[in-house]
Amino acid sequence: MRKTTTAHSSTSAPTKHASLLQKNRDPLKSVKMTAAIVAAIMFVFPIIWMLFVSLKPQATTASLPLDWFLPPYTWVNYHEILFESKVLLWLWNSLYVGVVTTILTLIITSLAAFAISKMKFGYRKFIYVFFLAGMMVPGEATIIPLFEIVKNLELLDTYTGLILPMIASPMGVIILKSFFDGVPDEVIESAQIDGCSYGRLYWSIVLPLAKPALAAIGIFTFIGSWNNFLWPFLSIVTENLYTLPVGIPTFNSNYSQSYVLPMTVNAVASLPVIIAFLLFEKQIVKGVSFTGLKG
Amino acid sequence: MKQKRSLNWLKPLPFLLPFLLVYLVFTVYPIAKGLQMSLFDWTLIEKKGFRGFDHYARLLEDPDFWSSLGNTMLFVILSTPTMILLALGLALLANIQTTLQSIFRGAFFIPSILSVSVISYLAIFMLQPYTGFVNNAIQMFGTDAEPFWLNNPTLAWLSIVAVTLWWTVGFNLILFLTALQDIPDQLYEAAEIDGATRTQMFFKITLPQLVPIARVVLLLQVLASFKVFAQILLITDGGPGTATRPLIQYIYEIGFVRFDLGYASAMSYALFFLLLLLSIAQIRGRGKEGSMI
Repeated sequence: MRKTTTAHSSTSAPTKHASLLQKNRDPLKSVKMTAAIVAAIMFVFPIIWMLFVSLKPQATTASLPLDWFLPPYTWVNYHEILFESKVLLWLWNSLYVGVVTTILTLIITSLAAFAISKMKFGYRKFIYVFFLAGMMVPGEATIIPLFEIVKNLELLDTYTGLILPMIASPMGVIILKSFFDGVPDEVIESAQIDGCSYGRLYWSIVLPLAKPALAAIGIFTFIGSWNNFLWPFLSIVTENLYTLPVGIPTFNSNYSQSYVLPMTVNAVASLPVIIAFLLFEKQIVKGVSFTGLKG
Repeated sequence: MKQKRSLNWLKPLPFLLPFLLVYLVFTVYPIAKGLQMSLFDWTLIEKKGFRGFDHYARLLEDPDFWSSLGNTMLFVILSTPTMILLALGLALLANIQTTLQSIFRGAFFIPSILSVSVISYLAIFMLQPYTGFVNNAIQMFGTDAEPFWLNNPTLAWLSIVAVTLWWTVGFNLILFLTALQDIPDQLYEAAEIDGATRTQMFFKITLPQLVPIARVVLLLQVLASFKVFAQILLITDGGPGTATRPLIQYIYEIGFVRFDLGYASAMSYALFFLLLLLSIAQIRGRGKEGSMI
């Protein structure tokens, strides 16, 4: 989608200036490189520290920072956290809620965006503006009435109550609608002449073309759900239904001196997303720039 | 033909209804419900007497409301400019043409995917006096300073802002990076031919080209910072005292610790209007470049 500057200059016509430019591109490069390396180390350092601490024997108290990184190491903490605490259960809850929220969001936003983009009906403009307006409703400021509504629906302390309020994303509709608008109307019309129903148009023609947008919204929704704190914190009281963000504080606040076990909990909570990030870095970064610029 | 047309409005309904229903119940209805709740005495269990605008009058005279709103605004003022400068600076570093580019990008972005609880507890345990990593590291330089990072209002704010920057700068950095890579190369080539220096190019080309995205980041950031809650609750619990308690935490305490949902709703409504004004500003700001809709 976006060319980097390198790709640009290597494909542009080779002129005298181009080669000259390449050479004098950046006299400060080595300074910048050093700064970038230092900054990068500082950014990942707390995460690395967390991973090392999670491998230390529980009685460890290091007075020198270096001690945290040197042996002895042990897997006992992981064993304890995974098999004798609820962290694995909370991890599963977070994944489950995140995946279901993402799938439902993608389904209902793409259906709505399809209707608004590709079907002709009188109140189309009104509906679109009505959905757009939802962007301006800050969830944090309507959390008290939301709590009351979910309570009255008897959905407090359930996965359903956790998921449903999060799936109607106006931003998703906006992004998908602008993406669907790019599918030429002739394609739609000729498919209709061939007897293609709206349902099939949506499923087999328009949706496959929108994969990049769907991926971006999916990633964004999942990260949002994964990190959501306020709503699960208010609506879930049963310990077995906690998501990770709600469960971790209840676990960690029991410790104040030795932080080996708390760091193991944090590591267990973070490793799946760190691995997912390393695998899908490109798509995630692209998704952020995509949704960030649009929404 | 005529019959077909009259049924036309029905056709999109199966596509629209799922979104519409969820949207009405969980996004639109809470706005009306919140107004209703703010006009009554309302406990966790039931609705009680009608109070008219009493809660709003009380809000105006509640020093805790104003101090928590003040704290929220202090956070906005502390975090927004530093966030933009840091995001821009890191974006410039992540834009260096090198094979390490994707490693830099990944390193700056990776804290953003960690849960707020993880980053908060990382901060707590690193900043702890006596056994915390940060103080131990400081003492390696020969000082015996033992700062109590979270027990002093100034240091607590510093810690919260620093942790927030570390945690969320990745998103803004990516926006700046995307904009940087969209600046046409020809601009630089033309400037080079005209004999411009690198400094001139940076101030005459790079910065001006980044103004639109900086505006987007500014508005997104102000809006996001106004909603600050979780990391402060987890790191300082609003303390020491109430020195770092933001508005959302105060609303939460009134509603779910003191069970006064009516008054909490009135404050939510105040916050709602504040954020609404900011989002209107945001959409206006972005409408100018036509990236909205």
